Amino acid sequence: MLVGIPVEQSNSVIKPKDCAAEMSDYIVKVAEQRCKASFAKVFGYFAPRLRSYALKQMGNEALAMEMVQDTMSNVWQKAHLFNAEKGSPSTWIFTIARNIRFDMLRKLQNRKEDICSDDLWPVLCEQTPDANEQSLDEQITLEQIGFMFEDLPLKQKSVIEAIYIDGKSQQEVADELHIPLGTVKSRTRLALQRLKGMLQDHD
Amino acid sequence: MIKYHPEQSQLTQFVQGNISPAEALIVSAHCDLCHRCRQFVQHQTQLIAAEVFDTPQPKDSLENYGAMLAAITQLPASETAPAAPDNKLNLSTPEPIATSTLVKTLELDGHQFTLPPTLQRIAAKTGNWSGLVGRLWQAPVELNYPGVANFIYMGRGGSVPEHTHRGVEYTLVLDGEFNDGINHYRTGDFVVMTDDNTHAPHSEHREGCLVFTLLDEPLHFTSGIARLLNPFSHLFFR
Repeated sequence: MLVGIPVEQSNSVIKPKDCAAEMSDYIVKVAEQRCKASFAKVFGYFAPRLRSYALKQMGNEALAMEMVQDTMSNVWQKAHLFNAEKGSPSTWIFTIARNIRFDMLRKLQNRKEDICSDDLWPVLCEQTPDANEQSLDEQITLEQIGFMFEDLPLKQKSVIEAIYIDGKSQQEVADELHIPLGTVKSRTRLALQRLKGMLQDHD
Repeated sequence: MIKYHPEQSQLTQFVQGNISPAEALIVSAHCDLCHRCRQFVQHQTQLIAAEVFDTPQPKDSLENYGAMLAAITQLPASETAPAAPDNKLNLSTPEPIATSTLVKTLELDGHQFTLPPTLQRIAAKTGNWSGLVGRLWQAPVELNYPGVANFIYMGRGGSVPEHTHRGVEYTLVLDGEFNDGINHYRTGDFVVMTDDNTHAPHSEHREGCLVFTLLDEPLHFTSGIARLLNPFSHLFFR
């Protein structure tokens, strides 16, 4: 359990425009001396303001605090990259926060993908709004894919079915059909080439 | 001279962090190449930073932040920080650590292409090049988040058959020139195609043309026979 360090309340009248030079000096001290007191000043000013912005943007307290923590961690760890000649502390910290925001979006989207592509819950996946919102166009495409699949030679079809629909590994398919692994691989390749060709013709 | 840019509204949304990570990637890569958009983004960032931070102290008590402050100051300083948003590269959106190995150039067909800094962060995840029809080569880039990304190289005289689009396709010209029957595009140009557009890109440029393309948020098929589509989704969503 970490013991909290009291955070100094900054004077609310001071705006960063007025205290940019002061904040710059603090960040430089963090970079050069790992000065915790200086960081506390920077943190005390920026963290609460960043939190209210993040809360407005994301509408979620936990995500907002995650953003504040990740952003301020970057300020602490990468203070040496700050260059006062190239921009104000506000602009620098906001840019870090934006990058953290994109990082968080990537992670969130990635998580969503993980859950949905997980074969453990195929039923849940079917019920996601995305699946239901398929346009007529896409439904036709799916049907057409079905026809193309049916047109594959029987041997290729059974390999593709086992791998892409039943989700088996190529080795499992080889064992099941009593054929060499190389044959499974070449049949898969041929079938995919053929489907690709059919799709291209279709375009 | 770069002629085609992202809309100002898209740049502004990028500044605010309100576009998808995939869009942010290609917008940021354009800004690496385009002085004008880079200036615009920097200026907008200053404005919004002032708006966010030139505010009175929020009412929430600072007591809640003590533990966070303590935890942060326990962290070591980072020695080398390839993904760090320093002031010079402050447009780049750092990719997760695992993918942040920088790849500065792409080599293809005897040519060497220097990538914009934003794409250097993701180029390590570039798959093999495959030859398509019509002097066309394509290499997929794995993103770890929704969006289908590819490097596409059109050799001199190379062309893509006429096609339309599902969803939105972004193309950033990295090197060379191409023409799609509607416009002529040069290095740095940012091209947006939607399902309203039909075009047939071809390149007559001496050195051909290298582009980075991105299809934002394609459907990802997860079950049954539709899984068959996944290996080809780039054909559907191009």
